[in-house]
Amino acid sequence: MSTREITLTVNGRRTTLSVEPRKLLVDVLREDLGLVGTHIGCEHGVCGTCTVLRDGRSIRSCTTFAVQADGADIRTVEGLAQGPELHPLQEAFWEKQGLQCGYCTPGMLMRCVEILERDPDPTPQSVREQIASNLCRCTGYATITEAVCAAAEVMRSGARAGTEVAS
Amino acid sequence: MKPAAFDYAAPTRLADAIDLLVAHADAEPRVLAGGQSLVPLMNFRLAQPGFLVDLQHVDGLSDIRLTDDELVIGAMVRQSTAEESADAAAGAPLLVEALGHVAHPPIRNSGTIGGSIAHADPSAELPAVALALDATMTAAGPGGERRIPAAEFFRGPFETALGPDEILTEVRLPRRPGGHAFVEHARTHGGFAVVAVAVDLAVDDAGTVTRAAIALSGVGPTPIRATATEQALVGTVPDAESIRSAVAATVAVLSPAGDVHGSSETKVDMARSYLRRGIELALDRAASRR
Amino acid sequence: MTTVDRPTPPVRTHKAERTWVGKSIRRVEDPRFLRGRGGYIADLVLPGMLHAAVLRSPHPHARIVSIDTSRAEAAPGVHAVVTGAQAAELTDPLPDFGPNPAAHTWRCLAVDKVRYVGEGVAVVVADDRYLAEDALELIDVEYEPLPPVVDPLAALADDAPLVHEPLGSNCAYDRTFEFGDVAGDFERADVVVTDQLRWHRSGGQPLETVGAVAEHDPATGGFRVHTNSLSFTSYLFMVATALKIPANRLDIVPMPAGGSFGSKLFVTKPLVIAAMCARLTGRPVRYLEDRVDNMANCDHHGSDRHYDVRMALTRDGKITAIDIDTVDDYGAYIQFGVGHHGNALAQVVGPYTIGSVRYRVRAVLTNKNQQGAYRGFGSEVNNWMLEQMVDKAARELGMDPVEIRRRNFIRSFPHFIPTGNVYDSGDYDAVLDKTLELGRYEHWREVQEQARAEGRYIGIGLITAQERSVFSATEFWFWFDEPGAPVTSMPESVTLKVDATGAITATLYSCAFWGNSPETMVAQLVAEEFDCDPHDVSVVYQSSKNGLPATGPGGSRTTVMLAGAVEGASAKIKEKARRAAAHLLEADPDDLEWRDGGFEVRGVPEKRKTLSEIAIMLHLFKHSFDEDVESGLEESKVFDHPYTTMPSADRKDLGVFYPFMGHACHLPVVEVDVETGVVTFLDYAAVHDCGTLVNPRSLAGHIQGGTAQGIGTALYEEFVYGPDGQLQTTSYLDYPIPTSLEVPELKIGHVETPSPWTPHGIKGGGEGGRMMAPAAINAAVNDALAPLGVRITELPLTPDRIRAALRAAGHGS
Ligand SMILES: Cc1cc2nc3c(=O)[nH]c(=O)nc-3n(C[C@H](O)[C@H](O)[C@H](O)COP(=O)(O)OP(=O)(O)OC[C@H]3O[C@@H](n4cnc5c(N)ncnc54)[C@H](O)[C@@H]3O)c2cc1C
Ligand code: FES
Ligand code: FES
Repeated sequence: MSTREITLTVNGRRTTLSVEPRKLLVDVLREDLGLVGTHIGCEHGVCGTCTVLRDGRSIRSCTTFAVQADGADIRTVEGLAQGPELHPLQEAFWEKQGLQCGYCTPGMLMRCVEILERDPDPTPQSVREQIASNLCRCTGYATITEAVCAAAEVMRSGARAGTEVAS
Repeated sequence: MKPAAFDYAAPTRLADAIDLLVAHADAEPRVLAGGQSLVPLMNFRLAQPGFLVDLQHVDGLSDIRLTDDELVIGAMVRQSTAEESADAAAGAPLLVEALGHVAHPPIRNSGTIGGSIAHADPSAELPAVALALDATMTAAGPGGERRIPAAEFFRGPFETALGPDEILTEVRLPRRPGGHAFVEHARTHGGFAVVAVAVDLAVDDAGTVTRAAIALSGVGPTPIRATATEQALVGTVPDAESIRSAVAATVAVLSPAGDVHGSSETKVDMARSYLRRGIELALDRAASRR
Repeated sequence: MTTVDRPTPPVRTHKAERTWVGKSIRRVEDPRFLRGRGGYIADLVLPGMLHAAVLRSPHPHARIVSIDTSRAEAAPGVHAVVTGAQAAELTDPLPDFGPNPAAHTWRCLAVDKVRYVGEGVAVVVADDRYLAEDALELIDVEYEPLPPVVDPLAALADDAPLVHEPLGSNCAYDRTFEFGDVAGDFERADVVVTDQLRWHRSGGQPLETVGAVAEHDPATGGFRVHTNSLSFTSYLFMVATALKIPANRLDIVPMPAGGSFGSKLFVTKPLVIAAMCARLTGRPVRYLEDRVDNMANCDHHGSDRHYDVRMALTRDGKITAIDIDTVDDYGAYIQFGVGHHGNALAQVVGPYTIGSVRYRVRAVLTNKNQQGAYRGFGSEVNNWMLEQMVDKAARELGMDPVEIRRRNFIRSFPHFIPTGNVYDSGDYDAVLDKTLELGRYEHWREVQEQARAEGRYIGIGLITAQERSVFSATEFWFWFDEPGAPVTSMPESVTLKVDATGAITATLYSCAFWGNSPETMVAQLVAEEFDCDPHDVSVVYQSSKNGLPATGPGGSRTTVMLAGAVEGASAKIKEKARRAAAHLLEADPDDLEWRDGGFEVRGVPEKRKTLSEIAIMLHLFKHSFDEDVESGLEESKVFDHPYTTMPSADRKDLGVFYPFMGHACHLPVVEVDVETGVVTFLDYAAVHDCGTLVNPRSLAGHIQGGTAQGIGTALYEEFVYGPDGQLQTTSYLDYPIPTSLEVPELKIGHVETPSPWTPHGIKGGGEGGRMMAPAAINAAVNDALAPLGVRITELPLTPDRIRAALRAAGHGS
């Protein structure tokens, strides 16, 4: 079967590549672009280890053909840290031990980025409700909830500081 | 768990999409909406279409329109877009409440309204909503457009009135002031419903039920209307006892198939419980909106 | 002869003031995982690597009449297709600790017949996984279906079809053990409580599946295999045998695992498949299970037991004896023998002073995926069974669940239980007291009463149970009279290297990263020894080829064994450093003391040498020292199991095999919706005692995470095989795993009763909440339903089971 040319903007970088229509987005990210932080757990949409952001919204990259993402802006875990500096969510996951084996972590982080972009000041209960989209087999979720709330606080004060500087 | 090979096109015009379905009829083509049912099936190789027509760029399928008497949702409207739409909330709050039970946000960010209805999973939420609200499905095919009432649309598990070269373009939901409720049991949050109940009803100032529409998912090969319960409620001022007997009228004729999530008996028990809860909640809301 | 020699090890004195052990530091492992650079097996790409996919049997039981691979071989991108018959020539059977491996032979692919749905029949090697799966569809297999053996009790019937004909029966093991005067105790009992219980199979289901990447070296005939199971260091020969090569030609590189929960313990099949294919194609090969492989063909389903139990008590609630008869459905093979029941026997009497035990175990083979390991390894099932019995006894005697437990607690230690195993230390009352307070027991009893008046069903579960840690392998062979073996050590090793700048690198052998925190534990232990920052300690994993003796994680052994190895290696380093420092300071070594990261002359703080000052001298200026001093500062310690003894010849005493006994009390509060059978949590308190804590936060993580899995076992998860032998749960849509909304936030408490026999008094705790939660949640649900006369003795407690029980008790609608 023929391949198709697609353009993806991944973590801010535009790439054009030629893919078989059947190739899943997660495999293109991992194999063609070498971004192995996005994991595969179930390949049927349930576990969430493959979660990435498409145009700012979380999706399952295992139930998305790469051709469907042609033209889209994709963000993955590799785009979170700025050089040596971890993203506040990564810092908070570290501090609160929001991970054990780390396999769910990239997908969970990307889902949490979306959660906080949509609501910068969530309650623990709303975090618990929203992270139900992603399974974690290790932590029992409590420390993840804690970490998201802690990161939200840091990001809010960072954002305030940022506006002060800007104004 | 990798899909079999297929050819792919992403047309921008509806007519082209239909032409592609016709032209590739031998390849058992399918349309691809959000892919949240189709891609998992293909990953399991339970579905192996030879050609996919991606509808995401087709003009005119992603609009939400609210008129005085109906909400019209384009088939390709993402579930999360509908969930967040003020027009949808105003025009069909039952739909919006049900969407909260459809999988999880990352699935709803891809999955579409039309995809869910066209897929016709007997455990899915939206078909029950469409049935309860007497929605009309607009289908476009080589022979033109036709409108199919919900009551005729769902034919069996994963089976609809759509022909192989027809595309569902929109879902028209009549606006019905009153009280609504969507309640369900899923094994874990975000899972498919084991039993789901959609209720839409209206009461007059005296508390008399003037209209009742109730549909269930999970208890039959298609969503079904709880007609006996609706009839028992209309014209009455329901109390706990009359609700119970109205529910019993439907429950008595249910014979769902058992599966790993519950025996037939348990599904009946669930239907009984959730019907009651749904009716009570809808009555409360109807009363408070009076 | 029923007595065995029971020398206890010397009692240690533990350091009173600790700097790093006991601190909740941030884990040293985390930064790479947070950045998506975990380096899992799927991330490893080798030049020229090919991909394997396995064709799974659609039949539970069928003869393979013929396999035609010609169409598959001709498919694009395909390099090789191997059938089971071919694999049987290329490889030998897989390592098997079962009772009679020659009669229930287990191979990497099925040969003459398939024995469960999902068993591998053939493997395709192709350029990528997509092409490999395309070719799987082109393999034509002709099967002759045989009647499946599904129900383990029916499988015991004389005329049942046989899973393995050479065995002559589906019962792979049947033996009754008696410890103490069981008959007498039952005769003297005032009350005998009996029950039948049923625990269905579930599994670890880590989000990462199991896999291996194998490279073959045609020059030596050897292999280098990367896998997320173990590095098999001490057991390399077993894996090498399956590949028909000498053990010194095999190197296994451990990769971090995206969760295991036991299910990546000693997994050899993917490794052997990948290696076989690498040798055949001359290219590196990856075989990584997909989720369906992992659910249907992982060889790591959990326990699947029927119990018939009798418990003898005095009228005032003292438990005197227990008589357990269990039938365990092992599935089609029995790779770990009945080791799971050894686990149970390590703590079979729970925290109670029960005087005698009868234990009959029948291991039955059926047409299902075989059992492996799942967090608890069968002892969590015993905990559940025992606590169910204690609660039933309490009910029959009209006692409160707290009261009956206090009546029976063991209070003096060390305590030898009837099976011969020892409990080193504990304070069960303290744990219970703390739980009752943390979980607001009295408060919830009041709420429960009010709720009942309103027709709501709230239940409080209270269980007190054991978590054995640090197994000795005697539990894998004391089942048999022959061959018998000397006592087995199960060592673990650490090498510590102090470089010329004084920075420390620790090398671990076999103790791979599975989501536990071996690097953090070792870093904290090293920091404790050398007064450095744990985040400055570098930790690496050695492959098996250059490995020191090591067993790997399992049975909550990692932390204790690593602590012993670190302690030993540190002592050697310090010994050498002391001598060097004495030389440099021109002092008597005996006058030096270790203080704050260096040696100093006792009482003369200005006369000191820091570790880095000593290290640079030892690395670069060896000739400054005596002739027998060698350059460098690197030492290893092979730490052997600190306390294990031989079983008696007649097996009436199994000896000490699991001596460091953790304990916990769980107190969940649930509400049961009796109309739908849905259970929700209102509260959950858990207090654990794992001896001295190394990192309280990471232990809390194991408690919370283990409890989440226990909730799965108790309420949601089950591998369901239909009466036709079909596996009905082959996706996460049918096998529900708890999400954040199914798992309550626990109130966690710790009690620390140090072990007298381990470094710092540490006991293992990695199996965490899953040891207790199923028992506790079952107790809570039964407490909720008590007013309706319903008690459920079967897990998981799905809405379906709860409703069925309520209907049977007349609560129809
Ligand atoms: C983990 C997970 C959990 C889920 N849980 C739920 C749940 O709880 N409840 C629920 O209802 N659903 C659930 N879903 C399914 C989800 O809602 C899907 O989005 C939906 O069923 C299909 O919509 P789609 O846009 O993704 O369609 P697709 O997957 O693209 O298509 C589904 C089918 O419909 C056909 N089709 C789609 N659009 C059209 C059209 N316009 N005209 C004609 N045919 C069309 C396709 O050809 C295909 O056969 C879940 C999915 C996943 C992955
Ligand atoms: S791998 Fe995509 S959801 Fe599991
Ligand atoms: S940390 Fe292991 S699955 Fe979440």
